[in-house]
Amino acid sequence: VDKDNRAMTRRKFLKTAAAGMALGLAGSPSFSFAKEEYDLAVISGEPAAATRKAIEALGGISQFVKKGQRVVLKPNMSFARTPDFSATTHPLVVATVAQACMEAGAQQVLVLDHTLQRAELCLERTGIREACKNIPGVHVLALQERKFFGETKIPQGKVLERVEVVKDILDGHVLINIPVAKSHSATGVSLGMKGLMGLIWDRESFHSQYNINQAIADLGTVIRPQLTILDATRALVSGGPGGPGEVKKPNLIIAGMDPVAVDSYGVSIVPWYGQNFKGRQVEHLLVAHQKGLGKIDIDQLKIFKEKV
Amino acid sequence: MRTLIQALSLLLFSTFFIFATYKLPNWLPADIYLRLDPLLGINAVFAAREIIGRALWGIVTIGATLFFGRFFCAYVCPMGASIDFLDLLFFRKKKRQNLKTDSSFRKAKYFLLVLFITAALTGLSLAFLMDPMSLLTRFYTFFIYPLAITLINLILDLLRPLFQALGWVTLSHLYYFQSVYYMTAITLLIFGGIVALNRLVPRFWCRYLCPLGAFLSLISPLGLFKRQVNNDCNECLKCQKACPMGAIAEDPRGTRLPECIQCRTCAKVCPQHAITFPASLSIGGEYSKVDFSRRGFLYSLAGGLGVGFLAMQTPFALKQSKHPLIRPPGAIPETEFLRTCIRCGECMKSCLTNTLQPCLWESGFSGLWTPKMDPRLAPCDQNCNVCGKVCPTQAIRSLPMEEKTHAKVGTAVLRKEMCLVWAENKLCLICDEICPYNAIVFRPVEGYRRPVVIPSKCNGCGFCEQRCPVKGDSAIVVVPNGEIRLKEGSYIKEAKKLQLEFKPDAGDDKFILEESGFKIEEKKKRGKNIPPEEITQPKKPKGFL
Repeated sequence: VDKDNRAMTRRKFLKTAAAGMALGLAGSPSFSFAKEEYDLAVISGEPAAATRKAIEALGGISQFVKKGQRVVLKPNMSFARTPDFSATTHPLVVATVAQACMEAGAQQVLVLDHTLQRAELCLERTGIREACKNIPGVHVLALQERKFFGETKIPQGKVLERVEVVKDILDGHVLINIPVAKSHSATGVSLGMKGLMGLIWDRESFHSQYNINQAIADLGTVIRPQLTILDATRALVSGGPGGPGEVKKPNLIIAGMDPVAVDSYGVSIVPWYGQNFKGRQVEHLLVAHQKGLGKIDIDQLKIFKEKV
Repeated sequence: MRTLIQALSLLLFSTFFIFATYKLPNWLPADIYLRLDPLLGINAVFAAREIIGRALWGIVTIGATLFFGRFFCAYVCPMGASIDFLDLLFFRKKKRQNLKTDSSFRKAKYFLLVLFITAALTGLSLAFLMDPMSLLTRFYTFFIYPLAITLINLILDLLRPLFQALGWVTLSHLYYFQSVYYMTAITLLIFGGIVALNRLVPRFWCRYLCPLGAFLSLISPLGLFKRQVNNDCNECLKCQKACPMGAIAEDPRGTRLPECIQCRTCAKVCPQHAITFPASLSIGGEYSKVDFSRRGFLYSLAGGLGVGFLAMQTPFALKQSKHPLIRPPGAIPETEFLRTCIRCGECMKSCLTNTLQPCLWESGFSGLWTPKMDPRLAPCDQNCNVCGKVCPTQAIRSLPMEEKTHAKVGTAVLRKEMCLVWAENKLCLICDEICPYNAIVFRPVEGYRRPVVIPSKCNGCGFCEQRCPVKGDSAIVVVPNGEIRLKEGSYIKEAKKLQLEFKPDAGDDKFILEESGFKIEEKKKRGKNIPPEEITQPKKPKGFL
């Protein structure tokens, strides 16, 4: 566990956020990667800079967000924990993506999650609200009321026929998933696919009623983020999903349009619970792959790697 | 002028009430009105047989009354203000005559005062039943506050389509957490009854029943300012009719000083301008004796002792050391807690998660309205310590966060026969996921990883009980066993002595891999999907193939 990082305060975050943002804005001229299309961008570096680079490597945010569109960002801010616990997405990653979306001309950006713990505290402790506070057009919301969820059918569902999801993603919003890399005591890991459970109302039934791994894959057929940006700047490799647990620092941002591929790569970067795994060994990823939601073998992926 | 001050006081009371949330700054005494109430202070000090720091604030009120008389009732008391305003609303046009039995009714409040203080001496905290500050705070907590939230949310819901159309994102997603309480209806009935009594005479409550008023009226004749009528008086008796307290005697020149609340309504209505309130050192006249018979005194004394006996000599009292309730973190030992708590409901109002709920009969008569945790409803949040901060008698001690973390309220017990994992081999982990203290770990038992509570790490917060997806009663419940209740001293030290550790550490997951004989049965089922070299890998955590 990184001792220094534990002492990270919100104020520090803000400062770093500002610095990171400035770097991102001033830095690297926009290379066009459009000619060569990558499945994944894996960028090593500080949260804000690496996030910018990763988006750029996939062809820039304008590939995903068009002028006037409304965007939903789904970070993990489910727990009232500070970022050093690695149970929630790094606020700088969220702020950087939100900023990029607004720069691309988005009408508005909603940063939202159905938090597990009290909404107010989650927004406060994770630092995400603070980090996005000064970006005009960006709204950070934690939804804990059923009235903000609407039912949708799952035609391809095997165990799940219908599900109540956050209304805002039902009406043509662009969805960008920004999970954090962490272990999970029921599903092994909780990355992008598992993180989508933060957009539904009734999560309990996934644990009590259905096979959770199948249910996650079913959910993946109706909630399809255009882009997944996995925050692996830190990884909670045990004690997940809520922590506390062992936090490693892979310093990576992994981005891609294929949600299974991003997760599968994410599985491979660190040992989980002290043991190395492949994406194929994570049941919910395997089921999702078999359902045709994405590629699971990372040696078949075209990956752009860089250090910033 | 008086109405304005009253309104301001009520507003101030309401503002302090609103401020009683988990964000309450340490310097802000949200419970100040309750602290200033000398009756609550005396009640708690007598019942607990101990000096309580915050109760000493009552001396301020006593001092001010010795100086100004019984002004508190007319200007400060938010209950009096509420009664006056509701009186205006409901009974302004009703004709009301003074009760014939007025003087004997007046005694009632003194009897009640004696009864409550006697009960307190026997160790029964009872004044809360009729103390105006406690009563009103309770009414606010259990009725006004939930109602206000409901109304605000209703308005937000009605306007939501508009907000959405205008693209006001924050407003269109805004809602407030709706607190709910068990005893709202009873509390409303009591308050409603008090207001309804005004139909008979104005300020019925203050005249005849209020024990705090009784206490203040005992010392108010010592006050400096007194009503004086000069010779211009033509005995039109307008003042007598207008006096909200019935403090003007048959002869309008006389004043029942204990009843006079310095509102000066009489001076305002006097056509002759004959009434003034000069400073005077005389102590009353013929009308200023507190009409309190010896017999009545003895009866109420006996009443107090009787109620004390009834409340104390019950099986509930004998079972206090084994009580079944989860009390808020920092609650002092049960017997002392029941004696000290004044049932104002402030802790339940401020509770971040709404887990604190009023007791009805769970611990008998002496436990009415005391706060208990209802973990199935909501947990105790690990980031919040507000209940102690707002407790006016410190029946719940005000603790710094670190201390509060160690104030263990109970221990979670897993009921294997109901647990989805133990009984049905399902892939549930919710209790483990939500536990803020890592007190629940998965250990391999008979080929499956099953949740186990580590009692020495559990502080009883109840997140597991609340979130357990089993319908009805939770498969994991918090019981008071292992609770730490200290009247003084450090919870951290006590927890250390007991070898408890509420700082969660990361090491527990080692059980997942290290325990020998660990197998995942499901692996066999899905074996065909897995390349052969991976099947041979032993001991994998849940979710991995």
